[in-house]
Parts: sequence; structure tokens; C-alpha cells
Amino acid sequence: MIQTVVNNDLSEAKSAAAAVVDFNATWCGPCKMLGPVLEKLSGEMADKASFYGVDVDENSDLAEEFGVMSIPTLVILKNGEKVAERLGFAPEPILKSWLESNL
Amino acid sequence: MERYDIAIIGTGPAGLEAAITAKIRGKKILLLGNADLSTKVEKAHAIDNYLGLPHIAGEDLAAAYQKHLDSMGIEITQDRITAVYAMGDYFALQGAGTPESGMTAYEASAVILATGVVAGKTLPGEEQYLGRGVSYCATCDAALYRGKTAVVIGYGSREEAEAEFLSEVADKVYYVPVYQDEVKLNERIEVVRRKPVGISELKTEQGRKMGVLFEGEEAPSLLADGVFVLREAVSPGQLVPGLETDGSHVVTDRSMACSLPGCFACGDITGTPYQYIKSAGEGNVAALSAAAYLDLKRREQA
Repeated sequence: MIQTVVNNDLSEAKSAAAAVVDFNATWCGPCKMLGPVLEKLSGEMADKASFYGVDVDENSDLAEEFGVMSIPTLVILKNGEKVAERLGFAPEPILKSWLESNL
Repeated sequence: MERYDIAIIGTGPAGLEAAITAKIRGKKILLLGNADLSTKVEKAHAIDNYLGLPHIAGEDLAAAYQKHLDSMGIEITQDRITAVYAMGDYFALQGAGTPESGMTAYEASAVILATGVVAGKTLPGEEQYLGRGVSYCATCDAALYRGKTAVVIGYGSREEAEAEFLSEVADKVYYVPVYQDEVKLNERIEVVRRKPVGISELKTEQGRKMGVLFEGEEAPSLLADGVFVLREAVSPGQLVPGLETDGSHVVTDRSMACSLPGCFACGDITGTPYQYIKSAGEGNVAALSAAAYLDLKRREQA
């Protein structure tokens, strides 16, 4: 499951041992395609990390904080520290192996 | 949404042969490209090594192609595909559509890439700063430029719409046309008629900025928060995210299969030699491989 972040509040993700944060927007084509792929993986990998979705329109401070300049951007946090980042859509097997190698 | 068996992208010899073969195999096809087929074929003076048609002029070959398509009832859907997403058991295709229709979407169980080879190189710095100040999609990333400045480098007049869209959100938009035609934009967009030769990152008192270097300059004179580089033709890796490529070519095996299951490629996009008969031959193989892939998938599901 992907939890929707509101009011620029990412504190839960930052305090988690491992979190995957998806920066997206409703009007971004590749973000929409990435959504269901990530949703599926968030279920399969629920024991490894918690997943969060950040709409950059509604959470522009967070986008600024993480220096997000292109969406979709995925960020992996471990105890609040950014350990990995990737841009753009990726098919499920590629995304899965990226997540596995970074979590 | 209607799901096609095979979507074929490109209307040169490779794409057309793939469409004809797939149709003969009874597949439900979607052929995407130009109603004028291929300008490359159209403009060829004479082709001397096309089996059975010695010394044929490009326009005669194109006319023969059209007749062949007509005789089989194959129609071309005129659209420019901007992205192909591998969704697992199908592909989602995104098209530019027309200014009236806006972006279009299609779905197919298999995809054949026959888009030809992309001419033209990227700008120095373009790939290095991709996602960190350089973007290929104004409609995607406009939201991140609220109250900021952006440069749009447009390689064709159809990119002007993207600059317009961006100007609704951004504080300031500069438009750099890399073409001769007249530019029609709203007055809030500043048009810069100079030749861009590179993109770099600069630390200024206002923070990190992106600089566009123009021909004849020692240092970039145009600074902004981000640079959008918008081209008609996109590289295969950009067109199909996650696809294994070798520079401007797609990696395939002998069956014309790409690294993503269900995705096939044929013609110039797979590499040299750039020959019409080679493209057509590969189109035939790609379509037969795509048909075999679909049949196997159907048996597995049954």
C-alpha cells in the first residue's frame, strides 16, 4: 500500500527504517503509469519498506527539500537519510531489482 | 480501452512489412506513423538492390507500398508516439495527438518498434543534468517550476505549445527555437534566437542555476532554474523506459526481440546497415516473432 503524504509532512517516512517515496503529480503521464507498478511492489515488499506518495503540487516544500526537478522521482530513505534516487518510469522487473538492491 | 494484439510504430519499410505480415497472421494491428509513409523512402533517388525492383525511385517504391497496404485494408493511424510503457502483460502507448485532441493513449499486447534511427546528437551537459535541471517533458515537470524561470529549447514549432503550457506556471520562460520558422508565442515568453551549444550548472548568489551556452560565447549568458530540451524524435531509451539500448540503437536478438518481453524492433533502429531490403526483412521477422509471442502467451493462459 502507498500512503499519501499531506501537508508536506514526511515525518513518518523519515523515522522509518526504510521508506520509498514517490514524487508525482496528477497531470504527469509517466507518473500515472508508474503508480500501479509501484502499488503492486509496495504490497510484495511491505516487509522491507513502507511506501509513500507525494503529490508535488500539494507538497511543494517537500519537492524543494529533496531537490526534485523532474517527476516521477523515487527516493529511498533509510532512517531519514536519502540512500538512492531514480527518475522516470521503469517496468516492474527493473524497478523491483532496483528496490531490492537498495533496501 | 481497446486492446490491440500488436502496435507497430513507424511507417517505413520495416513497419509496413511488419504490419502486412502481422495482418496475414490474423493479428489485430495498430499501425502508427505518417500517412505519407516515410520521407526517407520518398526522397530516395533510386534504389538498386531491392529484390525484383531494379533501379526503383523512392517515390515509386512508396507508391507500391501504399498500394500493398490498400489491397490488404491496412490503415495508418497518424500520430507521434512519445512514450511506450511496459505494464507487464501489455504496453501502454502515449501519443502526441493533435492540438485539438491533446495527448492520445493506446494499448497493445505486443509492440514493434520501427521508428528508424534518430539523427542528431544531444547537447553537451544535457544527459548529465537530466532530472537535475534538464527535463524532456514540460507537461510533466511544469508543476516544479512555479515561480521559477525556465528555458525551453525547441527543435520544432510543435514544441511551442509546451512553452505556452509552462508559461502558465513559471515566473519567466525563455524560448530558444532551433529552427527557422516564425515563432508564435504569448508575449510573456521571451524568444532567444541564438544557437545553443551546451548546458551547464552554475553556482550563483541566487543559488544553483542552469546555464545555456550559445555559439560564440565563453560562458553561458542565459541562466534559469531549469532547461527543457524538446525534440521531435526521441532516443529509443527515452521512448521505451527500461529498454536495453546501445547508443541510438535498440539491442535485439535474431528473432528481433528486445530486452523487454513482448517488445520487438526492426529496421534502422536495430543498427546498420541502413538498407530498405534489410528493414523490410527484419519487419517480417519481428511480426512473426510477435505473433509467436502472443500465441505462446495465449496457450500459457489457457
